[in-house]
Amino acid sequence: MNLGLKMRAGRPKAFGLGGPPTLQKLSPAFSQRRSFAARAIERDAPVRRLDWMLFGSALALSVIGALLVWSATRPRTQLTGGDPQAFLKKHLLNLAIGLVLFTVVAVVGHRRMRVLVPFIGIVAMFGLFAALSPLGATINGQKAWILLPAGFSLQPAELAKIGVILGMAMLLAERVDTGDVERPGNRAVFWSLVVAVAPIGVIMLMPDMGSAMVIGVIILGVLLASGAQARWMAGLMMLGAVGAAAVWKLGILSQYQIDRFAAFADPSLDPAGVGYNTAQARLAIGSGGLTGKGLFHGQQTAGQFVPEQQTDFVFSVAGEELGLIGCAVILFLFSVVLWRGIRIASNADDLFGTIIASGVVAWLGFQMFENIGMNIGIMPVAGLPLPFVSYGGSSMFAIWIALGLLQSVHMRGARAFTRA
Amino acid sequence: MRTLRLGDPKRRLRFGLIGLGVVLTLFVGRIIQLQALDASAYAADANSLRTQTVRLPAERGAIVDANGITLASSVDAFDITADPAQVQKYNPSATAAALAPIVGGDPVKIEELLRKPDSRYVVVARQVDPAVWTNVKQTQKDLSAQKRNDLVGIYAAPHSKRVYPAGSVGSNLVGFVNATDHGGGGLESALDKQLAGRDGKVTFENSLGRQVPTAGRKGEDAVAGDTVQLTIDRNIQWYAEQMISQKVAEAGAESGTVVVQDVHSGEILAMATSPGFDPNNLSAANPANLGNRAMQEAYEPGSTSKVMTMAAVIQEGKAVPETQVVVPGALPRSDTVFHDDVDHGTWRLTLNGVLAKSSNIGTILAAEHLGDTQPAANAKLYEYLQKFGIGSKSGINFPGETAGLLDPPQKWSGSQQYTIPFGQGLSLNSLQATSVYQTIANGGVRIAPTLVKATRDADGKVKPTAPPARTEVVSAQTARIVADMMESVVADDEGTGNKAQIPGYRVAGKTGTANRADPKLGGYNGYTSSFIGFAPADNPQIVVSVTIQAPTNGKWGGTLCAPVFKDVMSFALETRKVPPTGTKSPEIPVEWKP
Repeated sequence: MNLGLKMRAGRPKAFGLGGPPTLQKLSPAFSQRRSFAARAIERDAPVRRLDWMLFGSALALSVIGALLVWSATRPRTQLTGGDPQAFLKKHLLNLAIGLVLFTVVAVVGHRRMRVLVPFIGIVAMFGLFAALSPLGATINGQKAWILLPAGFSLQPAELAKIGVILGMAMLLAERVDTGDVERPGNRAVFWSLVVAVAPIGVIMLMPDMGSAMVIGVIILGVLLASGAQARWMAGLMMLGAVGAAAVWKLGILSQYQIDRFAAFADPSLDPAGVGYNTAQARLAIGSGGLTGKGLFHGQQTAGQFVPEQQTDFVFSVAGEELGLIGCAVILFLFSVVLWRGIRIASNADDLFGTIIASGVVAWLGFQMFENIGMNIGIMPVAGLPLPFVSYGGSSMFAIWIALGLLQSVHMRGARAFTRA
Repeated sequence: MRTLRLGDPKRRLRFGLIGLGVVLTLFVGRIIQLQALDASAYAADANSLRTQTVRLPAERGAIVDANGITLASSVDAFDITADPAQVQKYNPSATAAALAPIVGGDPVKIEELLRKPDSRYVVVARQVDPAVWTNVKQTQKDLSAQKRNDLVGIYAAPHSKRVYPAGSVGSNLVGFVNATDHGGGGLESALDKQLAGRDGKVTFENSLGRQVPTAGRKGEDAVAGDTVQLTIDRNIQWYAEQMISQKVAEAGAESGTVVVQDVHSGEILAMATSPGFDPNNLSAANPANLGNRAMQEAYEPGSTSKVMTMAAVIQEGKAVPETQVVVPGALPRSDTVFHDDVDHGTWRLTLNGVLAKSSNIGTILAAEHLGDTQPAANAKLYEYLQKFGIGSKSGINFPGETAGLLDPPQKWSGSQQYTIPFGQGLSLNSLQATSVYQTIANGGVRIAPTLVKATRDADGKVKPTAPPARTEVVSAQTARIVADMMESVVADDEGTGNKAQIPGYRVAGKTGTANRADPKLGGYNGYTSSFIGFAPADNPQIVVSVTIQAPTNGKWGGTLCAPVFKDVMSFALETRKVPPTGTKSPEIPVEWKP
């Protein structure tokens, strides 16, 4: 059943001593001794140590996503410009780019990316400011996009999520991984928070509350996994609660955001207005029944009743067309992804890897929780795509990069070698 | 050292796994609730929110004349509507000013409609030509190209329009439709079920006001109404209307009718009423003229009714045309002394002469022979009157049709039993009166009159009207004898109906000049003049009845109605290509010398 484990089980102890590979062993000087192709077919080659279960589940989600996006956008001629496959093609292109990014990140490895972290951070911050500047485009009331030629657009906030994970991981793990301290000290935690809060501030100006929330959850996940003292997390959560109360009281939220909460609290509220999106999504999911109406046969979907159905509400397509069984499959695949992610985090041989994996898991897990939750009406609406499944290039790229980081941690994790 | 540090995050990550499990359980529970437990409710909700049912109006069938000429048909038209809430966002005055010249309305009134508060729907113009709506759309486009909103919020809804290409010809018969496109009067109302067809409906899934193409549509197609072919000949109808209208005007009469019937089939060829109305301009019509007096108005027929008395007397073998009758100048019966229309000394008339000179006294005397006692005679006469169709409806089922009034003989008052033989004290409508003469003309066999020749359904299947009921009222021989007597009325220069003579044709007929009951006064006031006859007398083909109510200029049926009869009958004979028989009228004596 566990393909990855079996492969490793038959593998001889390549490094004899059984000790974890150190940074020195994986240094560029070491790896450049043989050609890339030769290394790839080696029995110990990182590619063969890939967590295939994780990869397969993520890929399956992406493929299901492509079908659902296709189904949701076929009739939306005002979006597709007459080509029913327009979104399918773009989604598959995004997926292909995502897979390339995934491969690059997995091959380069999270350790070697340490040197890139400041660069990633600068690019992300630059992107965020660019999106806020006149260069950026406003979509759905958020100034969160940079338009590229050929109809593509980038959402720098997605890159910022990666930047936050890597930046925090680097700052928090540095002294621990060198063996200087047992757990990140207050200084490290403080500076890592500074690094993480900066992009949140910019993102909230957009205002992209969804991404800000995701980064908030990433911070919590990272701090949790880093072994930082619990009072930091308690303090942060308190701060979050106070902040939320302040935001609510001070009227910083836009009316539409207040409406979303109101509609969540009372789903029957104004089904033609603020509650429309969720009410229609729930109708779509509910009318799917056990086996669904069949791909491309959902009437709520074909009738374009659910706004943003190819992005934030793509789960409702699955609900209507694939039914309870389809929803269960999607949930199962997500649980595999998250389980493998947590497993990778706890098996990583250094804190850097653990933190990265934990950050990615917190990110994917929260987005899945919020997205599916709002689709089925147990969470208020927030504009977050469903990882792998929703249409959207930036999200797709960022998530496959994140998956590449997970795989990198896995392939280079000590436990992967020792566990039989 | 290291294990300690690592142990901490690992333990914490286990919370992550637990959290994942909790969330997944929550999700699966919620999805099962949505998709398995409440699924049918959500599916039903989704359907009802999504689907929309629209009525597909059935095309109303046409009404055509016996030769297929259209008398009534439905054409595409539009109601121009507006959404005042939308219009009021801009400038309702400008909208009204832009719209009025196109739809042909008063800009002030249109603006008033557009300014209606709290409304999303008003009808600006009803049933306009499709070209008008096309024009509105084009203007909308032109204005919006100039970035002007003058015609924003103006829409149209299909609302087919009933048109009557023949105008007022046959209008009192054909009738009209009401605002809901259903029969409001006349045959449009009587035949509404057949004409209306069956509305269809379509249920489709609707999104953003458009149909969802992949969702399929279900419903029933509309079934167009039947086309109804009447027995009416539009040309005869038109001519009859011309003639009666002219005469009604000339005589200063209240109204007049002409009924033209085919003798052998009972088909009504024309049924003209004056004054009439234009069904294409209903609002201008006087509501009193919207009906069909030939079937809806009962009157006391007077002398034309004597034909039935004569037929009964002859059929019963109580007299022959040559039977000698001594007609005194006055006849006391019951509590009344009866007179003829003209004062005279004692006339010595044959039975033929009694009819020719239309003597009331002679008719009373003849009718008395119908029974050994007066009650027996009354019962016998009543029997014949009933068989001639008096007191019962024609069977056409025309809305508002009257059966007239024929009391049973037990209720006949002292004088009524003597007036009924000459046509007072009973009432009938023009169609019933015509039918009496059709019976005589058709060898004593009454054929129930018909107005509908056939119907053709949406599939083109033609269904002829069931053959009408036939009743033998008198024998062919009796009918022949009465017809000969009626010929004297016209042919004899002393006959009251000599103005009905048609050169070349033998004509049989009878005049009538009845006292007219005025319901407003509760007594008699004015006259009902009539002439009913058929031709050719020896081979009857066509019956024509002419009735004029309350003339103020002249009163005699022989002078007012006989000429109209002559014109209409001539036209009908010509139209129907009935040749003269070329025979000579029998010369039955009118008087006798002792």
